[in-house]
Amino acid sequence: MSKTKTKEENATPTVKIYIMGSMHEVPASLTIMKAMEYAGFKFKRGAGCRAGFCGACATLYRKAGDYRIYAALACQTQVEDGMVLTQLPFVPAPKGIYDVDSLQPTASSILKFYPEVARCLSCNACSKVCPQEIQVMDYVQYCLQGQIDKAAELSFDCVQCGLCAIRCPAEIPQYHVGMLARRLHGKYNMSTPETLIERVEEIENGVFEEGFKELKSLSKDDLKKRYIERDFVDQKKA
Amino acid sequence: MVQYSYFPGCNLKTNAKGFEETAIAVSKKLEAELVEMPSWNCCGTVHTLTSDNIMKRIAPIRVLSRSRKHVETLKESPNQVVTLCSMCNSTLKIVNNEVKKDQEILDKINYQLEEDEETYETDMEVKHFLEILRDIVGYEKISEEVVNPLKGLKVSPYYGCMLLHPEEAKIDDEEMPDVLESLVESLGADLVMSPLFKFCCGSYHIVDQEYIVSSQVEKIVEAAKRRGANALVVACPLCAYNIDQQQKAMAKNTVGKSPIPVFYFTQLMAIAMGEPVKINHFQDHFINPEPLLKELGLIGRKKAK
Amino acid sequence: MSYEYLKFGKEEKDFIAKIEEISGQNIYSCYQCGKCSAGCVFSDKMDITVNQLIHLIQLGQKEKVLKANTHWVCSSCLTCSVRCPREIDVAALMEAVREYSLREDYEKVIISEISKEALDKLPNIALVSNFRKKTG
Repeated sequence: MSKTKTKEENATPTVKIYIMGSMHEVPASLTIMKAMEYAGFKFKRGAGCRAGFCGACATLYRKAGDYRIYAALACQTQVEDGMVLTQLPFVPAPKGIYDVDSLQPTASSILKFYPEVARCLSCNACSKVCPQEIQVMDYVQYCLQGQIDKAAELSFDCVQCGLCAIRCPAEIPQYHVGMLARRLHGKYNMSTPETLIERVEEIENGVFEEGFKELKSLSKDDLKKRYIERDFVDQKKA
Repeated sequence: MVQYSYFPGCNLKTNAKGFEETAIAVSKKLEAELVEMPSWNCCGTVHTLTSDNIMKRIAPIRVLSRSRKHVETLKESPNQVVTLCSMCNSTLKIVNNEVKKDQEILDKINYQLEEDEETYETDMEVKHFLEILRDIVGYEKISEEVVNPLKGLKVSPYYGCMLLHPEEAKIDDEEMPDVLESLVESLGADLVMSPLFKFCCGSYHIVDQEYIVSSQVEKIVEAAKRRGANALVVACPLCAYNIDQQQKAMAKNTVGKSPIPVFYFTQLMAIAMGEPVKINHFQDHFINPEPLLKELGLIGRKKAK
Repeated sequence: MSYEYLKFGKEEKDFIAKIEEISGQNIYSCYQCGKCSAGCVFSDKMDITVNQLIHLIQLGQKEKVLKANTHWVCSSCLTCSVRCPREIDVAALMEAVREYSLREDYEKVIISEISKEALDKLPNIALVSNFRKKTG
């Protein structure tokens, strides 16, 4: 007969973390996001895809005995003992309002809407904080230099979490700047992909109208069933 | 062929493209090639004159550190970073000098750069391209490459402040410089001396106090014109913008003001050395220099065999 | 003839000390020869001249110093610094006064008020250097 494990042996290992100042004991295997939910927090904001793509769950934390400020996406980072953390459900940074069609892929197009880019001190705090490990300072500098193509390439992995903007001593909203650079690059420097032209043509020719009509006529339950059974195989090619 | 690690600075990529392209073309011809650093940031101009602001010194030190790495990849390159823009030159020189003298400041800055693996060991020199032309290439070699002497061009050198101030950053005597003068003469142009050769153009006041710039530019241009100049030569993209653009703005208001074009020294070199006209990017100038150059037969003429 | 009695207490001394700290200069090195103002290409646009401003700093007259436009008209061309017979970095004193205002949370140039048209045509070197000198 096998020996029954004691209550202690059976328990999941836990760590102590501090969420907005108050201590919580949570299972050590959880991500920050799950740990917060375990501790009783309910997300109304600051949680999106839960898979590291949407950038909604930016989190700042320090570790016990370490002066550094760390940054991470809450859904992608495991808790550690002694973590002192807070989530940033939103980073205040107004977006420039522009019409991409009326701009040029130049530095002045960027400076027109984000003149604070000229205040960059090259301190690199933004790159250090980026959970996507993007060279943020370098792409901001490329924007200032008018090298929009390089800025677009370098900022491509940005998930718009806004951590860079919260750490910037020059108060630049880097992630909006990168977005403008990518829009300018996409609009003026890159050729339109053929597949996109084809698809737009198909839409305009009403290829999908039949399918939409059918979906619209379905009941909620049938729609759910369809959604669960969906696959991404191209029906025509299959 | 010596290669130099070249730091462009933001304006050489935007509205001073003609400055950069002509400089690179003549640098190849003179076997002192300018090779752009692969990745660079703002020099941090205008240099802070405070004693305690470390943050504002990070940018220039990062440039020096990145340039040091770039030097390793070049042929026969000395430990030097070469600039064209005089504001970059002055900022980098001042900070380089500061950290060479003051280990404490360097340590504080390096502490910030450690994580990026961009610490600086004070083993770089900052040079303006004019210094390379004067001290390494020599005016004789420049004259030898001239195929199209700039006859009839009456050029007045305008240094601005940053080439001659402060003591640690000056490339020539601050009250009696002659580097631009000798260069202009070696290109076959006529030299017109103006007393306002370093009379500040108003610099960055163009953003919020345009009246200052406009009054300065009026005096600078008048002084040069009264002595017979039909062109100005500069080394700073901000001087160039201010003088060029303000003349255009003034010409609208005052009758009889005939503006004179503003050249970068490398543009004059490129024209004299027979480089293609299009690398000058004259379309970016407010006062188009082409009519004057054509009138003097310096461009748009078939080369006599 | 009228006289103005100047207070010279802790507040005044603190102001002098702060300006000396930021600039790294000894304000009392200045013997008021006026060479800085004579050589300054912007003197005609200043409400009080450079040496007068330095005199006010020597007297700790913070309010009068900050009210002057002298340090905001200065463009850091450094002519004064290279000519000063007492080897004072005069431009650094101007910078210290600017920094003093900016550190009191006062932005000389309000970036959001610059028009889109101006931003479109101004070279980035002008914006970079202006913001470095005129925003905190």
